[in-house]
Amino acid sequence: MSIIKVDNVLKQFGSFTAVKDVSFEVQKGRIFGILGPNGAGKTTTIRMINYITIPDSGQVIINGKQAGPESQKQIGYLPEERGLYKKMKVGEQLLYLARLKGMSPNEARKSLKYWLDRFEASDWVKKELGELSKGQQQKIQFISTIAHNPDICIFDEPFSGLDPINSELLRDVIIELNRNGKTILFATHRMEQVEQMCDDICLFSNGSVILNGALTDIKRSFGKNTVKIEFQGDGAFLDELEHVRINNRSSNYAEIRLLDGADEQQILKRAVDEVKVQHFEFVQPSLNEIFISTVNLHNNKTANPTTVLS
Amino acid sequence: MIDFEKLGIVIKREYLTRIKSKAYILTTLLAPLILIMFILLIALIPMLSPETTRVVAVIDETQTIAPRMIEADPNQYRVFPNATVSDVRKMINDGVIQGYVVITEEIIDGSANPELIYGGSGGLNFIQKVQRDLRNSIREEKLDRSNVSADVRQIMRENVSLVTRVLTDTGEEEQDTSALMVIGLILGFVIYGAMFAYGGIVMRGVIEEKSNRIIEVIVSSVRPFELLLGKVFGVGALAVTQFLFWIAAGSAITAASTPILLFFMKQPADATTALGEADLPFTIPTVGTELIIFFLIFFVLGYLMYSAMFAAVGSALESETENQQLMLVVSLPIIIPIFFLGTVAADPDSSLSLILSIIPFFAPIIMPVRMAIMNVPMWEVALAIGLMIVAFLGLMWLSARIYRVGILMYGKSASFSELSKWIRYN
Repeated sequence: MSIIKVDNVLKQFGSFTAVKDVSFEVQKGRIFGILGPNGAGKTTTIRMINYITIPDSGQVIINGKQAGPESQKQIGYLPEERGLYKKMKVGEQLLYLARLKGMSPNEARKSLKYWLDRFEASDWVKKELGELSKGQQQKIQFISTIAHNPDICIFDEPFSGLDPINSELLRDVIIELNRNGKTILFATHRMEQVEQMCDDICLFSNGSVILNGALTDIKRSFGKNTVKIEFQGDGAFLDELEHVRINNRSSNYAEIRLLDGADEQQILKRAVDEVKVQHFEFVQPSLNEIFISTVNLHNNKTANPTTVLS
Repeated sequence: MIDFEKLGIVIKREYLTRIKSKAYILTTLLAPLILIMFILLIALIPMLSPETTRVVAVIDETQTIAPRMIEADPNQYRVFPNATVSDVRKMINDGVIQGYVVITEEIIDGSANPELIYGGSGGLNFIQKVQRDLRNSIREEKLDRSNVSADVRQIMRENVSLVTRVLTDTGEEEQDTSALMVIGLILGFVIYGAMFAYGGIVMRGVIEEKSNRIIEVIVSSVRPFELLLGKVFGVGALAVTQFLFWIAAGSAITAASTPILLFFMKQPADATTALGEADLPFTIPTVGTELIIFFLIFFVLGYLMYSAMFAAVGSALESETENQQLMLVVSLPIIIPIFFLGTVAADPDSSLSLILSIIPFFAPIIMPVRMAIMNVPMWEVALAIGLMIVAFLGLMWLSARIYRVGILMYGKSASFSELSKWIRYN
């Protein structure tokens, strides 16, 4: 059974349509990535799942029930824009937020003790948040997101602004939560993280879902249409290739996406003529490549060009 | 609809975090101290600067006025039997005496005016005193010369003063109307200040949550309406706490003010006469319990209306200094009644005063002023309270609709027309 079901949702602000006809399902225990350029409707959708805003039409079903105050208790949400009360003591603040999620004071204290110990943050309980460093504040923010033991954790751009140590820590915690049966929902435009962590993805563009499914299925459906090449010598010949798009290019490496009519054998011949080829492989496209081509395709279809992120 | 457990948790936080703040404790404690200082200042200033006696030489060619002057104020008037005018002038220049008058027969019969020549200091009080004493002395002398009977003299001395009593159900009550006016104006200004102070606290609270971005975390647990209500009630409870403390401290201070004044006087007898007679610039009237209760009711309802509006404005801002236009729109209804305070206090029974005092936006300030000065008919008070409750519910509904959109809007400062658009969002 799906734990989150977004069913034909529409949300408008005045004359602006933020999200239209959006449907997708998240299966229990999976790591689900919501991808899309800025302004594609990710945050609006996440807010509706969180029952922060309500769809104009369509519905959001959490664990079989309409999203509402009850479903809010089952969700932990880390918004893209982080923030806590600067002048409030860390302990009081965490207790307050856990209580608002419906925990009793005793449950909340027990759970907070576990997570504070886990993040080595127990010493800060009596301090005001503003006295902590940025990295320490981030840890407190994670704790506030997961302390009430939610079945669903929603992270909006979780790694943005994190230092490498906290990034690593958060990654570990997310994987641990997932192993314990929690469902994770990610919103990001950082493809490499999605490729590393997500089971399923859902791609947003201009307020609509344009691609949706298990990551491996999606990649397979795009077929092996990309050439990875490593070489020594002058890479200028790459610019002369036709019917290709070149990604991740550096002085001795390139990923070449074959478009209609391009022949990988021709490319190999050219390469052998021009440079010393060290590696030549025919692979599935990267998620970044899938993302860009799908968004472009969608935009061409709707004749509604938009800036595509690199 | 409303989750009262969560509402309670929010109210508790809003109340407790603020009541523990140093600024709150300081203002709560300092305000009564300032009141004490104020009372002491008013009571003691006239006593701390005792009138320096200025000696005026009376050169009396008729020998009839000088004794009467000396009788009127032996410290002030003096006769120097052998001194000439130039001697006396020298004495003024040397600072031995401060002035002189020459009395002639023409002055007594009224064909000439007396002249006071003085050193220039002393001011209006000094001149008026000399004038009064001269006038009385000359009048007495003329009465003597005319052999006027004692009855007529008594009539001449009579001084009519007006005593006012107010007729109420329980009988006649003596009231000092000007003191009541002062109380009314003070109440009006206190509510005026309190609207801004506590409305401002609510607004800053909203802006704080928005600008430090915790708002999105909170509204993923609580409905925006519950958060708004919790904030308004929490700060309201804070305000009521502060006012109850001040009322208690105020009544204690008023009760203790006589002993305090006694303590500061050199001679206890002085103080009792000072307090007993109307020598103080005003008498301290007793403020009735009923007035205090209604004052609190109007204060609380006014606060609820205005804080709802301030919260809506706060939700559209990201910093306090951002949009002064919006601030003005909510401040105006609080400022307007201040212009009418004087008119209402002077004529609390007029139809203008009645109308102003039942318009919900103005009622919190105008009605307590009227109630302090006169007996406002109960139906007017009830109507004003009823209308304020209706206005509060309406404003709360409106501002909740603005608030739930505003708190999630970033990046641009919203205009007034945008706020009205937000109201219509789903």
